[in-house]
Parts: sequence; C-alpha cells; structure tokens
Amino acid sequence: MASLTLQGIGKRYGKTRILSGVDIHVEDGEFCVLLGPSGCGKSTLLHIIAGLILQDEGSVLLDGRPVDGLTPGERDVAMVFQNYALYPHMTVWENLSFGLRMRKVPGPEIKKRVRETSRLLGIESLLDRKPKQLSGGQQQRVAMGRALVRRPKAFILDEPLSNLDARLRADVRVELKSLHRRVGGTVLYVTHDQVEAMTLGDRVVVMNRGEVRQTGSPDDVYSRPADTFVAAFVGSPRMNLFQGRIVRTEGGPRFEGDGFSLDLHGWDDFGPEGEAEIGIRPEDVKIAPPGRGGPVAEVLLASDVGPDTHVHARLGREDLVVRIPGRTDVKPGGKVALEIPAERVHLFRGGLRVPTGA
Amino acid sequence: MSREIFETQIIRVFRVGGLVVFFAAAAFPFYWMIVSSFKPLEELLLHPENLGLDLRSLDFTSYRQVLLKHGFFRYIANSLYVSLMTVAVSVSLGTLGGYAVTRLRFPGKGIFSAGVLLVYMLPAIVLVVPLYVIFTHLGLRDSLHVLVLVYVAQTLPVSVYMLKNHFQALPPEIEYAGMVDGCSRAGVIWRVVIPLSAPALASVALYTFMIAWNEFLFAFMFLDTPDKFTLSRGIVQLAGSVHLSKQLVMAASVVVTVPVLILFLFFERQLVRGLTAGALKG
Repeated sequence: MASLTLQGIGKRYGKTRILSGVDIHVEDGEFCVLLGPSGCGKSTLLHIIAGLILQDEGSVLLDGRPVDGLTPGERDVAMVFQNYALYPHMTVWENLSFGLRMRKVPGPEIKKRVRETSRLLGIESLLDRKPKQLSGGQQQRVAMGRALVRRPKAFILDEPLSNLDARLRADVRVELKSLHRRVGGTVLYVTHDQVEAMTLGDRVVVMNRGEVRQTGSPDDVYSRPADTFVAAFVGSPRMNLFQGRIVRTEGGPRFEGDGFSLDLHGWDDFGPEGEAEIGIRPEDVKIAPPGRGGPVAEVLLASDVGPDTHVHARLGREDLVVRIPGRTDVKPGGKVALEIPAERVHLFRGGLRVPTGA
Repeated sequence: MSREIFETQIIRVFRVGGLVVFFAAAAFPFYWMIVSSFKPLEELLLHPENLGLDLRSLDFTSYRQVLLKHGFFRYIANSLYVSLMTVAVSVSLGTLGGYAVTRLRFPGKGIFSAGVLLVYMLPAIVLVVPLYVIFTHLGLRDSLHVLVLVYVAQTLPVSVYMLKNHFQALPPEIEYAGMVDGCSRAGVIWRVVIPLSAPALASVALYTFMIAWNEFLFAFMFLDTPDKFTLSRGIVQLAGSVHLSKQLVMAASVVVTVPVLILFLFFERQLVRGLTAGALKG
C-alpha cells in the first residue's frame, strides 16, 4: 500500500483539452471516489495513472516517488475495468494468477494467494470456469479478484459496477465498502453515479471538463458545493438554481428572482448587492400550512416515488422541485405556499460558492 | 391451392433446380478429371464418350507414373515447402502489421492502412515481366525462396486487412489489463491477442496456403530447373511434353486439387467465420 498523488496532470488530443491541472492526493489506505459526468476525463486520468496513456503535463507519484517513466507493469497499480476485461481464453484460476505469473512470483505463493483471494470473494467454486460461463456479478468478482490478488500499491477502478443491474449494484456496493474495511488498500474509484460516490467514498473528488471542481468529504460536497456545477450534479432530484439579484431592504436581504421574491432573513455577511445565483435543495423546501409561509407556487405535477413525493411547481417564471417525505394531498393546478429557510439557501456569484453567514 | 402455397412450391422448384444446375456445372469437370485419371490411355482414346467408371478395374498406373517417373513427389515437397513458408511469413507479418495499424499510432498510419489493399489491385501479369527482369539481373530467378517472396508480397495485404478487421473487434481493455498485469506490448500480443485470434489466424493461413499452392504464373516464369518445380509448374511440363498423355495430366491434377479441397472442406466453417469477423461485434 502507498499514497497516490497526481500533480498538475494535463492531457490534450490535438486541440481538444481533456485534462488540465489535475491535483489529487489519495492517502495510504484511503477510499477516494472520482465523480463526474461522462466524458469529463476521469477514465483518461485512470489510464494515465496506470501508465496506459502518457500525460502531457504533470506527474504521477506513488508513495511520493514519480512513476512517470515506468511501464504499466512496473508501476504496481492494479486496475479494474468497466467491462471487466477478463481474459476470455483463460480459466478463472489463470485470470487471477496471470499477473503473479508475469511477475515471476513463486508457484506455491501464487497458489496460496489465489486461494485466499477466491475465498475472500466467494469464487472458489468457479476457478475452473471460463469467463463466458459466469454471470455478470461473478465476472465482476473475478475482475476484483484479479486486482486484489496482486496486493498492489494502489487500486484504480473504472466504473466497476456500471454493468450490473440495479439490485446487484446496490449489494456489491455494500460488499465493496466492507471489503475495503477488512482488506484496506489505497483506492481511486471512478464513477458517474453520485450515490456510489456518496456511499463509498472517504473523500469525493468532483470533476467536470477535465478539471477538479471540488474535493472533500461526501458531506462537504453535498452540503457545501463549491460551485453551481457541483451543486447541480450532486443530489437527486437536483438542486433548484435560480438567477436573480440580491438586494438589501429594510426588512433584511431579499432575492429578486424571475417573477418571485424570497426573504433571506438571517443572512448577514454575503457581500455586495447585485447579480447572483441561489440554490436550494428539493428536501429543504417545505410546503407551508394554509395561511402561513412565503412565496406562492403553482403545482404542476406531483410524482409519488415511494418514500417521497416530488412536487414540481412553478414559482414566478421558474420551475422548482420540492421533495416531501411520504404522501401529500397537493393537486396539480392548485396553489401552495412555500417555506424556504434562508440558512438552507446556497449563494453563488460568478458560478462560485459565497458564504452567507447564515 | 392457395396462392401462398403455390408460390412456395414454385420457389422450392427453382431453388432445387438452380442448385442442381450449378452443382453439375461445377462438379462435372472435377468428376471427369477423376474418372480419366483412373483409366488407361487406350480406353480414353477408344471410348471418349464413356463417362462411367468401372470401380472393379481401377487403373493406378497413371498415378504411379506421375509420382515416381515424372517426379511429382518432388513437386509435392516443393509446393508444400513454398506454401508453408508463405503461410508462416505472411501470417506472422500480417499479425504484426494488422496489430500496428489497429493499436499503435505512427506517422503515415492512415495512408498505410488505406493503401495496403492498393498493392493488391495490380494484376500479376503486370508485375511478372518487371520482376522477371529484376530477379534475372540479381541472379535470384530460379529459386523457391523468390517464389515465397513473391507470394508473401501478394498475400500480405489481404492478411493485414483481414487481421486488422479482427483486431479492431477485440476490446482494447483486455490488452490494457494484460499490460497492467505486467506484460510488455509484445507479451500482450503473444499471450492475449494471438490466442484470442486463433480463428482469424487459421482462416488467413488457409487463404494464404491456397493462393501459394495454386499459383501458376510466377512459378511458370521463374522456375527453370525441374528439381525446383512446384506442382502447377510440373503439370505444365507434363502437358507440354511430346506425347501428351491425358490420363497422366488428369492424375497430376487430382494430386494438386485434392489436398486443397480436403483442407477447405475441413476448415470451411472456420474460414467463413474468419472472413466475416469484425463485420459484427459479438
């Protein structure tokens, strides 16, 4: 095990910039999740760490030592691929032992490690099979086993759960977390699924368009998004974002949006008046009891998703989503008053987060 | 009878009729060749209209003469040598070339990749005279190795093209996995790419073998010493001799055709699969 550090990684293909100035540090034994939409450069970054692609700028360090001059095989990093990339012509045993055999590990040691790893993952009975004879979930385990058996300095995983069906994915997610707790290991895990990122990561790195937008604990990223991209990308249903102006009135600060106005009572230190963007998470908006509350919105649609109801409403000339626990009796076409607590409102200027003092 | 049944019947009749006609057209010369090779010359001259073959009085004299007296054992060995060498060189170079065009980046890759089949567009007859002159001046003409060289040049474009199509259908992640597991690029080709390409390699090998085994024009032009004749060149020698013995030529033709035919029947499914590989993923 070792720490994994990326310093100012940049990569371009022709004129297209894929990555610019990516700095990430994964502590020894830490589970770090790299979260971002498809095409944001996260897979390219993993290929660079593994040594499969060379970066144009920056450096990859394992335990503080640069590994840029080393081939993939010399780097001692294990990778798990999205499509598993098992060797189709080899049995599970051969797949697991291939990396050890290539590294000239002595035979008895290979046997011991393959046995241990396959027991750990519950794939002992599959060792004689070929990958084609395995289910998707079993193939996924073999792919993990192939990485684990090598006991590398760091693991990098490229959306390893995205080819599983939803139920299995949830199971494996939990299993992966407990596996990491038992076995340990420095992990950089790439996903575009924010639920995976929030549940698995000790730390989450959010990327967009080849740049790191925020690094922090899952709670940081969710509760204090660094910019509007992170705010909108993390969380489902997504955060409501409104363009408008912040003004100071006698009754305290207010937000003037497109056809509505919000009381931001309680904000004290939020900078100057003027152009701004505010965000409010669907679960932070409440529907006020009749006769009370703030701005009035028109209900467009109420969709029952089981534990919650998502109410789509029109506030002024903007759309907003409200998440209500359980059931509700609001009907499309009706009007509701909303309670939007000022301390729950996020403020962004020029796309970046500004503290509100609330 | 409903219209649908009527139409189905008509189609069936045409299908069977068509197959019979085509089969007869293709198989008759072959049948004629085999029958003639088992008859003595007098029989052929006296009863040319007799298409039947009396299985009780098969005459193997022609085969004995062809193989022993006219040196066809030697020609078989020569043909085998030339064909197998061609297969070995063409398949190995085709593998490396096809892989390079698929996975590696180098200047001129696009032109190389698109132009590789252009070589194939030149008809052999255009090439044979200049090559004859060149090889004569170099003093290389009367040699089996020159034939191998020419056959490799002829088959390599198609080998590269077919293998490129196959390699493009392999997911690159499997190779990445191999590299992360500690293989060099060459190790990945040897341990991962080649084992996964066995069907494609087999069909390329078969194709190359058939081209080299059947080739006539270059063998005819380049080979002078009877010791070095390949089978097709040997047949011409036989057919061009003063006393044209039809039954001998037929026996020799059987000797040339049958191995390829057996090979093809044996690998036919493999060959078709290899040719269409890469057309569909999955």
